Amino acid sequence: MTAAAAKSDGETEAPPMLAVYRHDVHKLRGRSHEGAVEEVAGQRVNEPVPRGADADAAMLSRPRGDPEQTLPAHDSPFRVSLLTGETVTKETSVDAFRNAVRELVAIEEPESAHAAWLESDAAAVFNEATYYPYTSLKYHVLLAAALLSNYRAGAAFDELSLVVDDPDDAVTPHRTVLEAGPVSLRMTADPDGRPAAALGSAPARSFADVWSRLPELPLNVDGERQWRVLDAQLRRVRSWSVAMQLIEDYVDATSGAGGDAR
Amino acid sequence: MTTVQQVLFELEAPYFGHPYFVTGHALFNAVARQVSDDAVRERLQVSHGVFVSGEYGEYPAAHSEDGYAGKLGQSLPPVEAYADLFVFRDAAQRWLLESRPRDAHNALDVQQYGGRQVFASECWFGKPEGQRNRRRSVQWYVHAYLHDGGADEVVPVAEDVLDGLRVGGGRNYGFGELSVADTQTVTLEDLDYSRLADADTYELELVSPYVLSTEYPGADDQDVPWWWGVPDAGVRRRETRVVDGDDEYVLGVVDHGQCVEYTGSDPLETAVNGVLRVGSHSRFGFGELRVRPAGADRVGERVTASAAVDTVRDDATAGGDGER
Repeated sequence: MTAAAAKSDGETEAPPMLAVYRHDVHKLRGRSHEGAVEEVAGQRVNEPVPRGADADAAMLSRPRGDPEQTLPAHDSPFRVSLLTGETVTKETSVDAFRNAVRELVAIEEPESAHAAWLESDAAAVFNEATYYPYTSLKYHVLLAAALLSNYRAGAAFDELSLVVDDPDDAVTPHRTVLEAGPVSLRMTADPDGRPAAALGSAPARSFADVWSRLPELPLNVDGERQWRVLDAQLRRVRSWSVAMQLIEDYVDATSGAGGDAR
Repeated sequence: MTTVQQVLFELEAPYFGHPYFVTGHALFNAVARQVSDDAVRERLQVSHGVFVSGEYGEYPAAHSEDGYAGKLGQSLPPVEAYADLFVFRDAAQRWLLESRPRDAHNALDVQQYGGRQVFASECWFGKPEGQRNRRRSVQWYVHAYLHDGGADEVVPVAEDVLDGLRVGGGRNYGFGELSVADTQTVTLEDLDYSRLADADTYELELVSPYVLSTEYPGADDQDVPWWWGVPDAGVRRRETRVVDGDDEYVLGVVDHGQCVEYTGSDPLETAVNGVLRVGSHSRFGFGELRVRPAGADRVGERVTASAAVDTVRDDATAGGDGER
C-alpha cells in the first residue's frame, strides 16, 4: 500500500465528501486562509481536506512553495480569462456573489454538491490564488474532490487516469471533473474501456502532457478548425485548472455562435 | 556530415493557417517561391514550425546548459547534446519561468477576422495603472529547421532568402509574415548522445504527425512502424490536409504529442533518423521523432515530485510519519 492510500480520512466535522466542496469557501468570500471562518450559512466550512487531496490538486495547477505575483496588474480573487485576457467579472466586490456562494455551501448531500459545482458559474469567477490569476477555483475544487473520492476507494495518485466520457452519459459523482459541450472528463483508476491516459507518477502541472497522450480526443478536430484551435491551445497549457476552465470558456464562446469561429 | 540549419522566425503579422504549427510544406513552398535554384527545390527538407513565445526561461533539466536563460524564446539556445535540439519543439514550451504567467504567455491570442479565428503575432499584458509603461507585449516566434539529408549542398540557406516568408492563409493580405530572428547550423554527428547511450529502455515521442495514408500522387500508404510499442488502446489518429497549388490532399496521420515504447534495437540511429524525419512527406515536416530514456519524463516537475514522494515512502518504512 502506498503512502497516499494508507492515509485515513482524519477528522472532518462535515462528511469528507462534503468537506472537500467547502474547503476553499474563504476564497469565495475573498478572505485569506488565516481569515477563514468556521461556519457559513450554518455549515462547517474551510476544513482541511483529508488524505492530501487538496495539496495534490494544488500541485496540478500551480507551483509549489511560496507564491510569487505573476501578473503585475492583478491582486484580486477574481479570475483572468485565458481566452480574452480580461478579468471575468466587472464586479469589484465578492459581495456580488454572496448568494451564489451561500447556495453552494448550503447543499447537504455530497452528490448534489458535486453536480452544483460542475454547473457553477459563480465558482468559475474566482481564481485558486490571487498570484495565479488564470487558475480556476471551480476546477481546483472538482479536482480535489475527484482525487479524494479515488483515494478513499484505495487508489494512489499514480494509479489514476484521465478518461474521456461520452457527453450524453450521466456524470459520475465526484469523479467527473469537467462537463462542457462535447467534453466530459473524469478521473479514475478504472477506465473500463473508455479512452484514458495515465496521470503519471506524481501530481504536477502536466495537463498538456496528459491531454496529448489521450488515445482519442473528445473534440471533432478532423471536422472543424475551431476544435483544432482549442486542441492546439490545450497542448500548450500545463496548469490543469487553467486548461479545464479554458475548455469551458471556449465551448461557451463558440457553440452559440453557430460555427462562426472557424 | 549532416548539417541541420535551425531558424527562429519572428511572427510579424497575424497568422491564419494550421493551428498546431506552421507546416513544413507551407514553409517549403514559401522558400521555393523565393529561390531560382532548382537544387534547393529538389533537395531542401523543412520541418514543421513550432510556435515559441519570446519570453524569459530556464534551460530544461536535460539541456547541456544550466539554470536561468534570460529571454530564451527570442534566440536559438546553444546545441551541444541531442536533447538541446528539442528545447523549442514541444508546444508546451516547458522552459518558461513559473514566476511569470506562463500558461498565458504560451497560449496564442486568438483574434477574429471576418468570422475567422486568427492568431495574433503578439499578446498584450496589463500593468498597474500609474506605471509609465502600462502595457507590455509578448512576441511570438516560430522555430523550424532545414536540412538536405546529409548532402549539405543546399543548407545553410541564406538569411535573405528566409527573411520575409509568408505562410498560411491570407498571405496576399499581409497575414503570416515571418522575419528571421536567429539562425545557426548544427552537425548531428558532433552532438553528445551519452544520455541516450547510457539507458537500457527507451520511449519515442511523436514530435510531428506520422503519415499512414496519403492521397498525394506517387506517395505510398504506410503501416505503424514495427519498432513502435503501440499500447492496447492504439494510437490516436487524425486527418490533415496538404495544399499544393489548387489541389488539396487528405493525409491520415498518427497525431503528434503521443509517446510509444521503442521496441527497436538501435536507439542512437533512430534518434538521428527521427531528427531527419521518417515516413511519407518527411521532407515537409512529418515523421519527426524524439528518443528518450524510459523514465525521463517530459514533465520535469513530475520526476522531482515523485522523487520526493519516494523519499517520504522510504521515511515511512523507516518509521517516519509518512505525511507530506
